[in-house]
Amino acid sequence: MVVPLTDLVTDLATDLPIDLAAAPDIHQRRRLPASLVIGGLIVLTLFTAAALAQWIAPYPYDQMHIRDRFAPPGWHYFAGTDEYGRDVFSRLLFGSQLSLALGATATIIAMAIGVPLGLIAGYRRGWVDEVIMRCLDVMLAFPPIMLVLLILAVTPPSLVKTSIAIGVLAVAPIARVTRSVTLDLMSGEFIEAARARGERLSYMLLRELLPNIWPVLMVEASLRVVFAVLLGAVLSFLGFGVQPPAADWGLMISNGRAFVDTAPWISLAPGIAMSITVIGISLVGDGLREVLDPKLGAGR
Amino acid sequence: MSGMPAALHSASLAAEPLLEVRDLTIRYRQGDRRITAVRDVNLSLKPGGALAIVGESGSGKSSVAGAILDFLGPAAEVSGTILFEGENLLGLGATPRRNILGRRIGAVFQDPFTALNPALRIGRQIAEPMVQHLRLPLPEALRRAENALHEMGIERAAEVARAFPHQLSGGMKQRALIAAALACEPPLVILDEPTTALDVTVEAQILRLLSRLRRDKGISLLFISHNLGVVRRLCDDVAVMYASQLVELGNVRRVLERPTHPYSKGLLASRPPLAAAARSNRLAAIAGQMPTSPEPEAGCVFAPRCPFCEPRCTAGAQPLTMVGEYQEVRCWKSEGLAAWPPQPAAAVATPHFHRGDALVNVTRLSKIFGGGAGLPAWRLSLAGGRPRLYRPPRRIPAVNDVTFSISPGEVLGLVGESGCGKSTLGRLLLQLLRQSDGSVEFDGADVARLSSRALAPFRKQAQLVFQNVGSSLNPRLSVGEALSRPLALFNLTSRRDRIQRVEALLDMVRLPAAYRKRFPHQLSGGERQRVAIARALATEPRFIVCDEPVSALDVSVQATIVNLLADLRDQLGLSYLFISHDLAVVAQLSDRIAVMYRGRICEIGTATDVLAPPHHPYTRMLLASAANDEPVVEPIAAGVAAGPQTGCVFAARCPHKIGAICHTTPPPVKALSESHAIACHLDIAPSTAPTPVVVHLDAQRAAI
Repeated sequence: MVVPLTDLVTDLATDLPIDLAAAPDIHQRRRLPASLVIGGLIVLTLFTAAALAQWIAPYPYDQMHIRDRFAPPGWHYFAGTDEYGRDVFSRLLFGSQLSLALGATATIIAMAIGVPLGLIAGYRRGWVDEVIMRCLDVMLAFPPIMLVLLILAVTPPSLVKTSIAIGVLAVAPIARVTRSVTLDLMSGEFIEAARARGERLSYMLLRELLPNIWPVLMVEASLRVVFAVLLGAVLSFLGFGVQPPAADWGLMISNGRAFVDTAPWISLAPGIAMSITVIGISLVGDGLREVLDPKLGAGR
Repeated sequence: MSGMPAALHSASLAAEPLLEVRDLTIRYRQGDRRITAVRDVNLSLKPGGALAIVGESGSGKSSVAGAILDFLGPAAEVSGTILFEGENLLGLGATPRRNILGRRIGAVFQDPFTALNPALRIGRQIAEPMVQHLRLPLPEALRRAENALHEMGIERAAEVARAFPHQLSGGMKQRALIAAALACEPPLVILDEPTTALDVTVEAQILRLLSRLRRDKGISLLFISHNLGVVRRLCDDVAVMYASQLVELGNVRRVLERPTHPYSKGLLASRPPLAAAARSNRLAAIAGQMPTSPEPEAGCVFAPRCPFCEPRCTAGAQPLTMVGEYQEVRCWKSEGLAAWPPQPAAAVATPHFHRGDALVNVTRLSKIFGGGAGLPAWRLSLAGGRPRLYRPPRRIPAVNDVTFSISPGEVLGLVGESGCGKSTLGRLLLQLLRQSDGSVEFDGADVARLSSRALAPFRKQAQLVFQNVGSSLNPRLSVGEALSRPLALFNLTSRRDRIQRVEALLDMVRLPAAYRKRFPHQLSGGERQRVAIARALATEPRFIVCDEPVSALDVSVQATIVNLLADLRDQLGLSYLFISHDLAVVAQLSDRIAVMYRGRICEIGTATDVLAPPHHPYTRMLLASAANDEPVVEPIAAGVAAGPQTGCVFAARCPHKIGAICHTTPPPVKALSESHAIACHLDIAPSTAPTPVVVHLDAQRAAI
């Protein structure tokens, strides 16, 4: 529940049971951290571009311009063309759809499984904790690429399956983070007070624990999106992800590899796009953690 | 105590002061705002002197120490001068300042449990400053470290020097830290609340050690504390700080016996006396709260809370003026001011309790903690040929064969040092822990036998209030949400009336209704404790376990919370198990007192019985430490190994031990009267009891 800012200010002004200075964060308008603003702008631009790719892309992603093969970046082709004369900028825009979709779904899948597991392990302790954490340890023992390749190799590749594979991979780290924060919170006396009231398990996990874990999870989630985008690109690069002629950043880098000497823009443009995405999402994660911290600026 | 009362920052100083603070002002930048933590503070300390700075948290006392030690960080703006041995510390660069710290100024801090590096041996940590500052070779420094430990009254100094911090008790750690601070024989040692984290008996030892070091080595002490009683034993002069200003300073005895500033009077009056209190008794309290960024230009900073306040007080800035010969005070009407007004007694009849109709009945209760859970608790043994997995039977009895009962409406105080099992006992009573043996009956029903579903009515009737005001409220829930949850859980009020009920609860703990919308970080420590009490009251309980509810609070706040708990006890007919390490606080609130040592109750009786002789030797030790006026027998070994106990648990520390019987045979429980029982081998009867400790009201209280 969020208390409207104005309510608190009027309460303070009318009752004045303590002096206003004691709670500087309520009467001072909270400023957003720079990292959130910059990161947010980057991510917002990326999502808009991905959503509007059909309309803002100058050319369809698979349209070939045979005369303009290997055209350098210029007025007609912002980021040049590739070996088939396809517009690299248009392909970038369509590729961002795939990358962002992959990052988001994989992270959502990982959180949906990892957070409950970590919460229960940290809350219950004992054998429940042992069983859950040892199973996750087994998952962690596999080299990540191997595990994904294993999943993808037995069945034909598709975006949904890639997302699931990458998401499952991130379950263990998310569960571990959730568990360690939970363990830390469990020593808090408000947990004991809730137990002394005989609260149900669901209330303990969802109302007492989860809201306190959320800020840490936001940072973790932003990291996971970044990893998912990168891993997706690696899979495409290796040929296990999205198949040609689909536009995908990893695939584009892989294709451009052969022409790095003569037409570096083919690989460079998706590389730069990926860097910007990664930086933007990380900044958002950092910023969110600060904003979500209730003690921010309280000075005690 | 030096004969000559030191005049502070006056021209009549005989000796050149060792430390002189002039016009010290410290501001902290917080966003666009400047918060003044210290304003125009003037202090001086002559060689060999001891000066105390006393005040509640947030008064700026630690910032003064921080400015001298250069610990304030980049957000602090420091102005004024700090002359140490004739040199202005604030004008020095980082390197020369660092060379003075440790070498010429030693420092000891509050928390001995985190101040030592857990990975280094004690001796090495004491030797380090000598290697750093005196350029001694390490072996020589280590040898001196051992001597230093010996000087701190540690018997097996060589052994302790080779130990790691986790192997030592809190008191031993603090001794080691004092040894480290004194390693380079600095003329000045700054002590910031050095005994606050320690038990009273250990505190008494550390204070005696400090006054011996002061006498033998001629060291000057700057002692920061919130505890006036501690200051009295050690210091010549005291400076009382309130809301960034010095409000009173002068000779310790004068200030404590005849305080002139209303704040000093209030502070002294709100300390509970070490005596049983009538049910109607309430502690004197200072109403209101300390302002965080006060404006003394607009008048006395204490005026809003002062019972003597009149229009002239808020007419303009208040100067420090001399009163009498060696006392200065920032109050224009201090001359002939009356004593701090006592809290009016509550109108309550003294109830009579019958042991027959107990609300809580504890019989032979024991809790033995095993050697941990999960895989790490298992050990692999290769002895005897075949490898074997086993779980070592580490049995640590936290509560051992405890029997008592609490009548409806009665308060049982539980006193003991940290680690004696008193918190575990409280958790057992509420079935937050399952006992290993024995039974807990609540209202006639054995709660250990109830299923978790059947436990719900018990949960509603038995509640808990905690010590740690920082973590007792969920930081993500507003006060209103935290208070309405128990109402919803037990279906106590309809959804419509819930807000009214929450406001009524807030009113019960004397908080304004608008606090409903606040979050815990927007509340002060005392306010959080009130909310935690309101949350416990929300279920309309009959019994509350109060686990050290006031030990984390300042004295003046502590008095208001103790009064609140007393009011609620009388209005609602509540029973408490009131757990505390502070005998005076327990005595204030309790009908009966149980004294606990290492899992066992060694004495139980009415508050008057326990506080008056004859005493159990341990009770006697606690009383002597709290009264601060009699040498306490040092424990022979701190943290005695928890081996199999056959005899008296207190035997290892007992100064009145009669012989082997104390170690081999459990002491018999002797009933001295219908209500008073002591577990001891000594032939305890009023005539042959060990010399009684005279428990007088603190001298300063009597004088007010």
